[in-house]
Amino acid sequence: MTEVTLGADAWQGVDAAVEALVDKWLVNPGDTVQMGQPLANVVLVKSNQEIVAPTSGHITQILVPAGGTFARGKPIAVLQEAA
Amino acid sequence: MLGCSQRALREAAQRQLAGRCDVLVRESGGGAVLTGPWLVSASVVLPLGHPWLAGGLLESYRRLGQLHVTALQVCGIAAQALPPQELLHPPTAGTDASVDWACFGGLSPWEVVAAEGRKLVGLAQRRRQTGVLLVAGTLVGAVDWPLLCEAMGRAQDVAILRQATVSCADLMAPPLAPKRFAAVLAQGLERSLF
Repeated sequence: MTEVTLGADAWQGVDAAVEALVDKWLVNPGDTVQMGQPLANVVLVKSNQEIVAPTSGHITQILVPAGGTFARGKPIAVLQEAA
Repeated sequence: MLGCSQRALREAAQRQLAGRCDVLVRESGGGAVLTGPWLVSASVVLPLGHPWLAGGLLESYRRLGQLHVTALQVCGIAAQALPPQELLHPPTAGTDASVDWACFGGLSPWEVVAAEGRKLVGLAQRRRQTGVLLVAGTLVGAVDWPLLCEAMGRAQDVAILRQATVSCADLMAPPLAPKRFAAVLAQGLERSLF
């Protein structure tokens, strides 16, 4: 299983207490995805960013729904890697 | 113009306005803003690898914010871009309240203030694998805050927005012509980006 997170680079310089918002999911649980495919749009400090699939596989669980917020390092979904 | 995460509010806002103006949703983050002759906006599209993007999203805001400060200075207006650490204790704007739904209702890193902490320039951005869009809006004239608040069903926030913001027209006489500021800003962008 692979956790889907907003990469550490995106949080560079951002205060530790600031959370990001999941704006929109582009996939659903069960969807097959390719590495690099956009999975969700999130907003951090007024910046709309994409989270892409770190590996190919399928989405098993969405942990943070659209409209929900998440802290640095927290996963927003779980992906089962392709065999 | 709503921020990307406000798209669910679009229909309600359109109904409230009853055809007086259009409601659009932009792709960048941030809150609602009323666009018109009172706002000089800048949209900067940068390829991945551009120097402005080297330090992360806050660094790109710093560059854009500081560029606006310089352009305002050229036009005779003193302003400052707020570093992140000053957001904890921002220069007083005469109110402790913030209006999170409005772009100009709160402060984010490197946005530009004048007149004791009142917001003058708002910033936002959109990052994709293909590049980054930086956007900025400068209040050059008086804003119809009642219209914006009415559209959002937040008439009670008019006074807060008036206290929390300032326009170039408030800061100098005769008022700064929007075209003059736009030209100065464009020159600054050309010098800084290339």
